[in-house]
Amino acid sequence: MNRRDLLALPAFLTLVTLDPRTGRAADRIRVGMLKPNIVTVIYWIAVKTGAFDKNGLDIAENPFPSGQTAAGIEQLLRGGIDFYLGASGEVAHANSRYVEAGKPVPLALIEGGISSGSFFVLQDSLRGKTLDELRGMKLRIGLSNPSSYHLILFRAFLRERGMTTDNFAWEFLTLGGPEMLPAMVSHQLDGFMHDALTTTLAQRANAGFVFMSSNRGDMGENAKHLPGTGVCGNRDFMQKNSDTTRRFTQALRDASAAYAAAPKAQMVAIMAEWSRQDPGVIDDMYGNFDPRVGLTPHAAQIWWDILGSAMLARGEISPKLTLNDVFDLHYVQQTA
Amino acid sequence: MNTIDKITRADIPARTSPGYSQEDFLRHVRLRGRRIRIRRILRGGTGILVILLVWQIMSQVLDLELILPQPLTVLRNVIRTLTLTEKPWLYGPNIYVHLSHSFLRAMTGFAAAAVLAIPLGLAIGRMTTLREYVMPSIKGIYPIPGIAWIPLAILWFGLGDAAVVFVVFATTFFPLFFNTEAGARMISPTVLDAGRCFGARGLVFFFRIVLPATVPYIITGLRISLGGAWRMIVAGEMLASQDGIGYLLMESRFQFRAVDLMTAMILVAVVGYATEKLIVDTIEKRTIEKWEVHSS
Repeated sequence: MNRRDLLALPAFLTLVTLDPRTGRAADRIRVGMLKPNIVTVIYWIAVKTGAFDKNGLDIAENPFPSGQTAAGIEQLLRGGIDFYLGASGEVAHANSRYVEAGKPVPLALIEGGISSGSFFVLQDSLRGKTLDELRGMKLRIGLSNPSSYHLILFRAFLRERGMTTDNFAWEFLTLGGPEMLPAMVSHQLDGFMHDALTTTLAQRANAGFVFMSSNRGDMGENAKHLPGTGVCGNRDFMQKNSDTTRRFTQALRDASAAYAAAPKAQMVAIMAEWSRQDPGVIDDMYGNFDPRVGLTPHAAQIWWDILGSAMLARGEISPKLTLNDVFDLHYVQQTA
Repeated sequence: MNTIDKITRADIPARTSPGYSQEDFLRHVRLRGRRIRIRRILRGGTGILVILLVWQIMSQVLDLELILPQPLTVLRNVIRTLTLTEKPWLYGPNIYVHLSHSFLRAMTGFAAAAVLAIPLGLAIGRMTTLREYVMPSIKGIYPIPGIAWIPLAILWFGLGDAAVVFVVFATTFFPLFFNTEAGARMISPTVLDAGRCFGARGLVFFFRIVLPATVPYIITGLRISLGGAWRMIVAGEMLASQDGIGYLLMESRFQFRAVDLMTAMILVAVVGYATEKLIVDTIEKRTIEKWEVHSS
């Protein structure tokens, strides 16, 4: 080794130590998500576009099957995972139990989708009927779980019109998203409330039509701006690791930016891989679904006004629960 | 009833031992029977108290109220649920509707299994040729867990009662069948020969010899199957139903209400126990005790 190399080595080591990203090992975080499920695809986009690596994060992936949203929240409560993608109403349910017991709330929604993406699909034979006409009919409507975001949103819509689901002669049946299409095709279901992907699959199979869509404004103008995908975390973990949490939310925002900038074909391939669907299906769905995140205080307020009120009216959450018990937006960078 | 309680004056000699009369012995037997009953109640009660105490301590000391509510909290919730004063009630129809729907589904599946498994078990137990044809198939299907039938049941019967009843049937059939088959196969040849010697043939032979000798095994099968029916009804209703105790359990899980979860579990246990007492004990009294047969 010559003298120039000897002088360059300490300089290189100093630079490496000063650079916050290259100078340390990536922080390992445990992230849970519904999988396969299109609403959590932003996670996979972040993986595939290198957003987590760029933000110095090493992810331990903890998948939960579609329809098992509560299992992820239970893990988050127990400290088995640090963040969870795919739940929002469940955070309010869980925190409400702590508020009722006079304890500090353990979870927080820290980020959310920019598109609500809730669809109510019915069998083609019901085309042309109004909600009032459908009300008295004995319909079997599929839901992914009893605390489904789509059901809460529908209840909120009914509440604005002075009704509840009890005024309907419908049966709400719980089944996983992947089972909804076979159930529709075999006429075991008259309809379902679910996401853009299941809706696209039903449309492609000519199994039904979109009766209501939040994106279209059928569930009220404000429902268009409801945060769809919920990203939540364990408050204890986030307080102790606020920098890691900020980098995690930033990674999801970076992934959102990458989604907006990337060619459609590239994103279709990523989304098809995550949801285990044919790229043709994703291509058809593309216009009806926006996986990007970007929760704002305004969107959180809309969530609280629509979904929070519906849950409160039904007695699902405590009157003592506040918006700040559910949301914590200080880990995301707000842009004007 | 304990054997000692059944001893009557006719069972003992006039003088049992020097210095003790027949009356003394009977009094002794009655007292001993009472002591045994009291001891059983005390021991059982102590066991329950210890569980409740450990439960209370864990909930309070480890501050687990939200995931392990205290026994008194659960008891209050059970009472509020049964008196229909639990507010808010988030689970659709009232608790009696949920319980009655679960009961009907469980009993339909269980009854269908009994109607098929008992005659089949008796026939296969007594007919070697039939056994050799049928047993490999039944033994092949037996290891499939009841819960694994649920997706197929939904495909075959759709979402609803029929699918749940089917999985109950699939779960309860096997214990009942294997117990009946074993009972029928293992009847002592001496008993069979005695029956034949007394001229029993055909249906008389079946109803007087084979069936009574198999009944203790059938009762055991019924007991195991009934427990299985309640376990499976909960799993089935969680996946393919919009009411019933399984649905209530799942809904309360999604609401993160551990107290409602435990209330539902206690109600399943109580109804399951009561059903067993009502059905199996009645059948036992009308068969085993009436025919005075005992398991070997």
